[in-house]
Amino acid sequence: MVARAGESRTARAEGRVVVRFNAPRAARVEANANGTPLEVNHRAVALVREEWRVVDRWWTEEPVIRGYFEVVLESGENTVVFYDGASGGWYTQRGA
Amino acid sequence: MIACLTIPGLELKAALRRTPSLALRPAALAPEPQGEPLIGPVTAAAEAAGVQPGMRLGEALATCPSLALVEPDAAGAELAWEEIVHALEDSGFSVDPASLGVAYFETRGVERLYGGLEPALRRALAAVGTEWDARIGAAGRRFAALAAASVARPGQTVVVADDELPQFLAPLPLTLLPLERGRYEELEALGVRKLGQLAGLPGGAVAERLGPDGRRAWGLARGGTAARVRGRRPPAAVAASLEFPEAVGNELTLRRALAGLVETALARPERRDRFVRKVALAARLESGGSWRRALTLREPSADPDRIRVALSPRLVELPGPVVELRLELVELTEPTGHQLELLAAGAEDRSRLRDGLRQVRASTGSGSVCTVVEVAPWSRVPESRALLVPKDE
Repeated sequence: MVARAGESRTARAEGRVVVRFNAPRAARVEANANGTPLEVNHRAVALVREEWRVVDRWWTEEPVIRGYFEVVLESGENTVVFYDGASGGWYTQRGA
Repeated sequence: MIACLTIPGLELKAALRRTPSLALRPAALAPEPQGEPLIGPVTAAAEAAGVQPGMRLGEALATCPSLALVEPDAAGAELAWEEIVHALEDSGFSVDPASLGVAYFETRGVERLYGGLEPALRRALAAVGTEWDARIGAAGRRFAALAAASVARPGQTVVVADDELPQFLAPLPLTLLPLERGRYEELEALGVRKLGQLAGLPGGAVAERLGPDGRRAWGLARGGTAARVRGRRPPAAVAASLEFPEAVGNELTLRRALAGLVETALARPERRDRFVRKVALAARLESGGSWRRALTLREPSADPDRIRVALSPRLVELPGPVVELRLELVELTEPTGHQLELLAAGAEDRSRLRDGLRQVRASTGSGSVCTVVEVAPWSRVPESRALLVPKDE
């Protein structure tokens, strides 16, 4: 079970609501022409520490195509954002 | 004042140290083995023959058939640059090495030591030496300092006062701006060829036409923002190297050699229990060139397996058989500050934790305390690895 980025899909186990750990959250990201983030939620990016791509479940109807960036904001905060190729939106995610 | 020291063509100069006779002949840095066939920096003789840096190899050879190609020596260039930065630091400058051949530093802290701005800049040039044809630009802002360095001759310093800045920047070419090649052409097609022409346009219109990159370039053309220069923390000098009796191209042998190097470097007493944040793997190639890749670990670590696993994929990128493999621990964490466990594993603590969780649940309601249950820890999709399951008992 893989939720599309941005969907907060939940499930019920023995009557209890189960939620995904480290689910992506929609983010407002401004990127340059290469797709590298310049601003995350109106805070300027000071440094891109690492970038990587995740392509998975391409054999299903819900493929995962993401371009991840680990960035350091000017405030000093470390954060991970990704561009979701399936939905065309940006998201932040912990645990990536 | 912010000073910018530049050494154009540092990679070529470093590579030419092996064959100094080529320095006076038409020569260019050969393209990277797995990259586009574009030549790197060129010698003055090659430039006089019409060869430009960044030209296609075929075009360059057609322009100057006697052009000699110099094998890149990436590790040698890094090492030479490190020595230059170190020499500046030894002279009291707090240096921010922006890229290979470009470094910024503030002069404010050392002006009194050397008797003014000009003597301080001359001291910086003397520290670097005459071999590299270094030049320095100084201004109130970073970009302006870089622009000043770009017009300085080898061994010269150019200082631009704040009130002269707009006039100084106006006639300079757009190529100083960090833009993609297509953007320059787009601007030239619009009749904008100089920084002054770009700076004279309304910022909003530039942003609308060229996007955030263009907006930033417009800001730089007007002098850039007044940001301070933060000097780097000098890198740790912990390294281990292994010289092979004969050139090795076998990946399995290289992996074993890497494992040995990681163990050796981590066991060095200079490491002093510090964790590794950034590592670099360098190799001397049989062909005479060199290769180097640096990697920042996602979490500082002193675990040899983790560092080995992080570096192993880089071995595939080696362009040819290797004569020597070298591992450098470039950045280490402070000896203190490693996160300890919040609670030691003990029955009493567990009981207190249970009580605490019961109180949280009582005050915030059912479902507020959850357990993380791993369901697919191997998954490449982070949200598929674990679930948050309410813990109501």
